[in-house]
Amino acid sequence: MSRDPIRHLAVPAIGSALLFTLLVAGGLLYTSFGGLAREGLVTQMFINAIIVLGIQIYVGNTGVLSIGHIGFGSIAGYAFAVCAISPKRKGGQIPDAPWNLAEVDLTPLESGMVAVGLTVIVAFVIGLGLARSGAQSGAVAATVITLALLFVVHEVARNWIDLTRGGKTGLSFSPLGNATLQGRGWVYILLAGSILVARLFRESRTGRLAQAAREDDLAARSMGISPPVQQMVALVLSVAVVSAGSALRVFELGSINPRLFFFDYTLLTLTMLIVGGRSSVSGALAGVVIITAGSELTRQLSGPNVEVAALDWLLREGLTDIFLGGAMLGFMILRPSGLFGDLEVDRWLMRFSRRREIEPDRPPVGAVSKGTLTARGVTVDFGGFRALDGVTIEASTDEIVGLIGPNGAGKTTLLNVVTGLVEPSSGSVEMGPQVLDDTPAHEVARAGVVRTFQNLRLFGGLTVRENLEASRLIAQRHRADRPQPPVAALVVQAGLWELRDRRASQLDYGNARRLELARAAAAAPDFLFLDEPTSGMGDAESVAMIEQVRAMASMVGAGVVVIDHDLNFITGICDRIYVLDQGLLIAAGTPEEVSTDPVVQAAYLGASAPANQ
Amino acid sequence: MLEVESLTTRYGSIAAVREASLAVQVGEVVCLIGPNGAGKTTLLASVAGLLRPAAGRVVFDGVEVTGWSPDRMLRAGLALVPEHRRIFADLSVRENLLVGGVTQRPARRIELLDEVVDLFPVLAGKLPVPAGYLSGGEAQQLAIGRSLMGDPRLLLMDEPALGLAPVLVDVVFDLIGSLRDAGRTLLVVEQNAQRMLEVADRAYVMRSGQIVTEGSANELADRDDLFDTYLGRAGTLA
Amino acid sequence: MIEVVQQVVDGLGRGGIYALIALGIALIFGVMHLVNFAHGELITVGAYTSYWLFNTDLDWWLVTPIVVVVAVLTSVVIEFVAFRWVRGASDFTMLMTSFGVHFVVQALFVMYVSANFRQFPRPGWIFNTVRVGGVSLEVFDLVVVSVTLASLLAVYWLLQRTLFGISLRAAAEDFDAARLMGIRSNRVIRGAFALSGLLAGVAAVFWLMRSGQASPTAGLTPMLKGVLAALIGGLGSLSGAVLGGIVLGLVEVLLISRLPGGIAGLTDGIVFLLIALLFVFRPQGLITVRHAERV
Repeated sequence: MSRDPIRHLAVPAIGSALLFTLLVAGGLLYTSFGGLAREGLVTQMFINAIIVLGIQIYVGNTGVLSIGHIGFGSIAGYAFAVCAISPKRKGGQIPDAPWNLAEVDLTPLESGMVAVGLTVIVAFVIGLGLARSGAQSGAVAATVITLALLFVVHEVARNWIDLTRGGKTGLSFSPLGNATLQGRGWVYILLAGSILVARLFRESRTGRLAQAAREDDLAARSMGISPPVQQMVALVLSVAVVSAGSALRVFELGSINPRLFFFDYTLLTLTMLIVGGRSSVSGALAGVVIITAGSELTRQLSGPNVEVAALDWLLREGLTDIFLGGAMLGFMILRPSGLFGDLEVDRWLMRFSRRREIEPDRPPVGAVSKGTLTARGVTVDFGGFRALDGVTIEASTDEIVGLIGPNGAGKTTLLNVVTGLVEPSSGSVEMGPQVLDDTPAHEVARAGVVRTFQNLRLFGGLTVRENLEASRLIAQRHRADRPQPPVAALVVQAGLWELRDRRASQLDYGNARRLELARAAAAAPDFLFLDEPTSGMGDAESVAMIEQVRAMASMVGAGVVVIDHDLNFITGICDRIYVLDQGLLIAAGTPEEVSTDPVVQAAYLGASAPANQ
Repeated sequence: MLEVESLTTRYGSIAAVREASLAVQVGEVVCLIGPNGAGKTTLLASVAGLLRPAAGRVVFDGVEVTGWSPDRMLRAGLALVPEHRRIFADLSVRENLLVGGVTQRPARRIELLDEVVDLFPVLAGKLPVPAGYLSGGEAQQLAIGRSLMGDPRLLLMDEPALGLAPVLVDVVFDLIGSLRDAGRTLLVVEQNAQRMLEVADRAYVMRSGQIVTEGSANELADRDDLFDTYLGRAGTLA
Repeated sequence: MIEVVQQVVDGLGRGGIYALIALGIALIFGVMHLVNFAHGELITVGAYTSYWLFNTDLDWWLVTPIVVVVAVLTSVVIEFVAFRWVRGASDFTMLMTSFGVHFVVQALFVMYVSANFRQFPRPGWIFNTVRVGGVSLEVFDLVVVSVTLASLLAVYWLLQRTLFGISLRAAAEDFDAARLMGIRSNRVIRGAFALSGLLAGVAAVFWLMRSGQASPTAGLTPMLKGVLAALIGGLGSLSGAVLGGIVLGLVEVLLISRLPGGIAGLTDGIVFLLIALLFVFRPQGLITVRHAERV
């Protein structure tokens, strides 16, 4: 399961070609039965497809809900119009344009390039703002910021009359606003290009890392992924496509006004994306077709040509919006992931031609280089509450260390300090020469300290192997000098070979726990920090987990620090154990020493009034 | 008063509680102890109606209440003080208490409010204070008081001493003692086994989803091998 | 000095309306985690109701309560028909649902009423001014401020002194714990929608007094203002929403008076931009009412 070029390039490319062919063939078929009006409709559909694909690249892969993406379209559209309209016409419409723009005379192609370039720069700035606000799937801030973009651009376009001629009339290419686009050459080129870019991005390294972050931001960071970087790339790419499509849209229409890229168009494009399935390129295109067909149908039904007395109450102006809003509502209530979910046409076809994958042999044990991780004098205060008080623990890459203690003892807090999620009030964390205590989570992971979570945090929408591949992508770039057994081998070791293409969210609990462990191991760590790996498991499964952890750790040559409450499991697997209680380290030693230590017993059973014990 | 028969509750495919059976008589204080992850909270949640059991029965005062919703359970006379308390931080102490009495008639509600304030004098002086400003111990008292406002015949408590400093732990266990003396029926889940056994009448020990031992509190407190039960060493039962 | 007082009163007059709308939006968000883009439709409904009623020669004093009642009913109906099905869904789903409802209701107006503007008469007194201590103030602003104040006090009383209100706030803070106390989720959610409908109804009356127009998009601008105000206040916070509304009103007046003529039309845009910047640097909003630590 290493990066198979066939799977990662050829298949999506073929899929893109297939989608393009289907779409264009369908469109041409439709126009062959009709006249000019149909031609226009189909051209507009292709252009809408380009823009929707652009939105899909961002929203689908990052999960960030950008309501205002069409705002970028407005910027591009105006930039294009201002550049491409002849100076003569500009003199009549916007003679007082700033920066001598009224004299600019560029070809449509040059204007398009300017439009895309300018808008991408704006996107980059917006992207910085989104990153700063901690944009992630489901965050309100991102929605607000992008909505602000949509709104602000609209207001500027309406009011900056010198440049845009305002909202009443807008700019136009020719007096009658005739279509200026000659033939569909550019439409086909950009459409094919957009499909290819969207499809390839989904399979690309950045795309896959963005998808992992979309599924679970915190888990992604803990595997070494830096979501803002992936999101920025997705945004820039997405806006480039949306800009190109928007310039084309203005060119086809022959004019522009602020309402062209505002709420109505936002609703149209978002409905297309959502109905089809925002996580899938094929879905986005399907959505475009379905909504275009439905809109056109309702438009005709509610138009002057159709007279059905009994249905007059229904077939009137506004029916199209009812259709759009209703489609949006219907899918949100019944099938929020859209028609296609996240399936792609080419992946579905691949099922038939999948080369027989052979279950690989288990590779030999990875070479272990000795390293030590020390957390020294760690103190953590949460407001007035001291969660940890001067705790020092040490672990080496050739041992398995346990961390136990009653609830609220501070074990998970210590884990969070080591892995960069919590900043200690004092103390340090060092691994060899590297200082870890002031480091963000994703860099801690890249340095070689990887963790699992007490409440499972798998990349639910991704398959078992994709979960591991996300970690592996990071390891390949940042941990190249460490032993990296093939992902397939790790899958086999976790007992998940039969389930390798199953979505992580569909795994049963025991398999899900093993997947979390395998995903952490795939990151080629020096240290595995496991947070309650046997939580919820019965006795037999806990015992099996002992073997699982040992095997994974030795395959990648990592030391293990494990937090757990199952003392059977802990005493069975650990070489040494630390015991915490109320933020203090109360005992340390071998399993025998610790389990017979009265201080430890008292901590677990509860200190009673001094008379007892 | 309460009979739980062979209750099984699942999280996905894991049986977090496996065929657990217990009983609570009127006026008793029964506790459920055991290591973390044993399924104690899940069992309590299943009885209170927050979770739906996959198998088994819960019978309260002779009526089968398996799978009833929490508010129905409350109206039937069973209240739960949840883990981590979950008081309404933005509401005042008084408002928290009133919310607890939502299911009562207005006149009864005022009566109950007076009773609760008598029981927790520390709250009396803090009625208008937003609950978020209370200390841990006060918050725990508020949480218990709030549940008492539902006029329950059986009070379930999930880890009442969790996260409290030792001094406050004393307060909580004294409180449980007072409730017992006042004739209340309690089923308490606690990690702090030693202290809990001092105030309880009977106890059940739970491990890996199953009830592995039961007996009177005195019996269990005297056992040396209680910790072994936590560890899961073989054969330390009956 | 005189100017400042006039501007402050003007700002409060606007801010009061925004506060009412924002409070309605914050209520729904608190209970369901949903930014209700369909909130503006309540105002649109109010607009058309006003228009119809004026054609029957009714006075504003009678029209007002009817508009409020209609808004409440519409709000509850919308919850029953649309939002009920997506409770507990992801934020994305709920946001898109409210988007969908917004467009469907708007389209319904286009279909069954008219796509065009309809004018209705505005009360004459709103243009009157009155002199208070040497300062000339618009009667309208004063009325808005007093009615808003009265409404907010009434809502405050409802939320603080009645069991229903306390239950609503409890559910807005921790829905599951509220259920444990015996609070019925359906009642709470419907109550929140009804209350937000009430607030929207009152706000609608004032908005329409100023605009005198009914159109399918009548509710869009006030809704956006309400959302902005709620965002300033930190979205989940009720008192924050009210403060946010007032801040928004004052900022608007400030911008309009200070900005050179050409850019004054961009006031809305500037406010939005400022809010966006706010969210870049303080994603949790400006006025976050203290949320105490979970013990």
